[in-house]
Amino acid sequence: MSGNRLEDDGFVTIHNLTKSYGAFRALNDVSLDIKEGEIFGYIGPNGAGKTTTMKILVGLITDFQGLVSIGGHRVPKQKEEIHKLLGYLPQSIAFQEWRTVDQALKTFGKLSGLSETKVEDRIPEILGMLGLADARHKKVSQLSGGMMQKVGLAQALLHEPKLLVLDEPLGGLDPLSRFQFKEIVLKLGNKGTTILFSSHILSDVQDVADRIGIISHGKINQIGTLNELKSRLSSQKTVQILLSYVSDKWQEFSIINNVTGVEQPSPGRILVHLESQVDDDQVVNDIVQSIVKLGIRVRGISLLEPSLDEIYLNYVSEADN
Amino acid sequence: MQLGLLFVDELRGFYKSKVMIFLWIGLPVIALLFRFISAESSGQTIPFTFISALVVSSIGGTLASVMLAVFIINEKNRHVYDLFLIRPLKRRDILLAKFLSMYTCVAIAAFFAVLAGMVTDYATTGALPATILTNAGESLATSLSMIAVACSAGVLIGVAAPSVLVGAILVIYGGNQISVIPLVPTLLNLPDATVITIVLASAVALGLLVASIALFNRKQF
Repeated sequence: MSGNRLEDDGFVTIHNLTKSYGAFRALNDVSLDIKEGEIFGYIGPNGAGKTTTMKILVGLITDFQGLVSIGGHRVPKQKEEIHKLLGYLPQSIAFQEWRTVDQALKTFGKLSGLSETKVEDRIPEILGMLGLADARHKKVSQLSGGMMQKVGLAQALLHEPKLLVLDEPLGGLDPLSRFQFKEIVLKLGNKGTTILFSSHILSDVQDVADRIGIISHGKINQIGTLNELKSRLSSQKTVQILLSYVSDKWQEFSIINNVTGVEQPSPGRILVHLESQVDDDQVVNDIVQSIVKLGIRVRGISLLEPSLDEIYLNYVSEADN
Repeated sequence: MQLGLLFVDELRGFYKSKVMIFLWIGLPVIALLFRFISAESSGQTIPFTFISALVVSSIGGTLASVMLAVFIINEKNRHVYDLFLIRPLKRRDILLAKFLSMYTCVAIAAFFAVLAGMVTDYATTGALPATILTNAGESLATSLSMIAVACSAGVLIGVAAPSVLVGAILVIYGGNQISVIPLVPTLLNLPDATVITIVLASAVALGLLVASIALFNRKQF
């Protein structure tokens, strides 16, 4: 593979990445590309290989097989160049206990190459953005888990990195902080920062990610936008009809073309299951015609789309099988 | 530049976590106690300068290696280094900063302890004979050499040991014994023993540090 190929594929390129711990293969031939300015959500069950991938990317694990590059620089050979480009929030953040938030940020800012003046300017800016202005002179050992996580994000953002690698960044955050966190991620994405982040909270990934990668048992299972993942899913499509009153006429929907089954999970709520490759608009139209013909009064009709949780569970259980 | 930054940062850490205070006050105080105990039990008044040098060389090295090993193991196991290792700095600078800052702290403590001895001797006898000054200088040089070896052994044990408990055992088993190496020229009554001690200690400390850096560079976090 030529050096140019790596640059052409994406800002972050991972090709045929394999990492073993003795007989256990943590990553098995993983390949993925992340474009510049893209927000990439990385999801998978515990022990799937998310953290290992991220640790390899940021240079904490250097013993692996495969090709990994950031901005055209090979990992881990060109780590000096790479480390100037990236900000990293590990899954469990830890600082030396004697540090205050201010001292931690000053040290990490300077180590990232910022001047004394720039560090002094950036610290209040970042802390203000994260709602941590009052905690500036507190010892890190006195902070709650959520605040610690925010300080972790602060040290990752301080030097305005081109690539942000966030390993389970939303763990331990309250709903408001999670919302603020996602807003920040979206804002950074809009500014052109490339972001790779993993999460178990799938709805959070759904909210911010341009593309999603699902990893299971050390193998990439699926990569794509949420819509692509939905469309690839082989599970049935379902139309939900809410009746204005309880009626048995709903059983007539089963004779409509491309309908594979009809059920009433609760009184007045009808689920019509469609064939997977069918034109949704056509079938919904046929159902509406049938409703008119049968003289049923309805309160609402909607096409149910699989949530990311369903997509995720489907793909992961496929991999398990 | 990064080494300087890390060195100052480590010193700040020792200051904030009260390590400096305990070392700088603790060592002279222990030497003082030792002097009174030995004077009362033997009935003789040994120059305090000698006692201070003796205490510094026996306790200072052990303290330095235990502290460094425990600091490194603890920080390594808590993943404190992750945030350093993803920044544009050399891995070796992290260890060198630890070694240099601890050595500086213990060396200053040693200097304070010997200085306290000299001041006490001067206050009690009204004079400091040239022999005391010469012997104090040689004792301090030997002590500092032993501390350098102990510090580098502490770094190696810190990098290699998987837990604080194993680290403490290794320091007691090995670290203490290695730090005695600089005493060999004096024990053998070699000519220019002090110079040989310094050269020998530098070589051993350097060797241990190189081994530590090689191990740390290969470490997967």
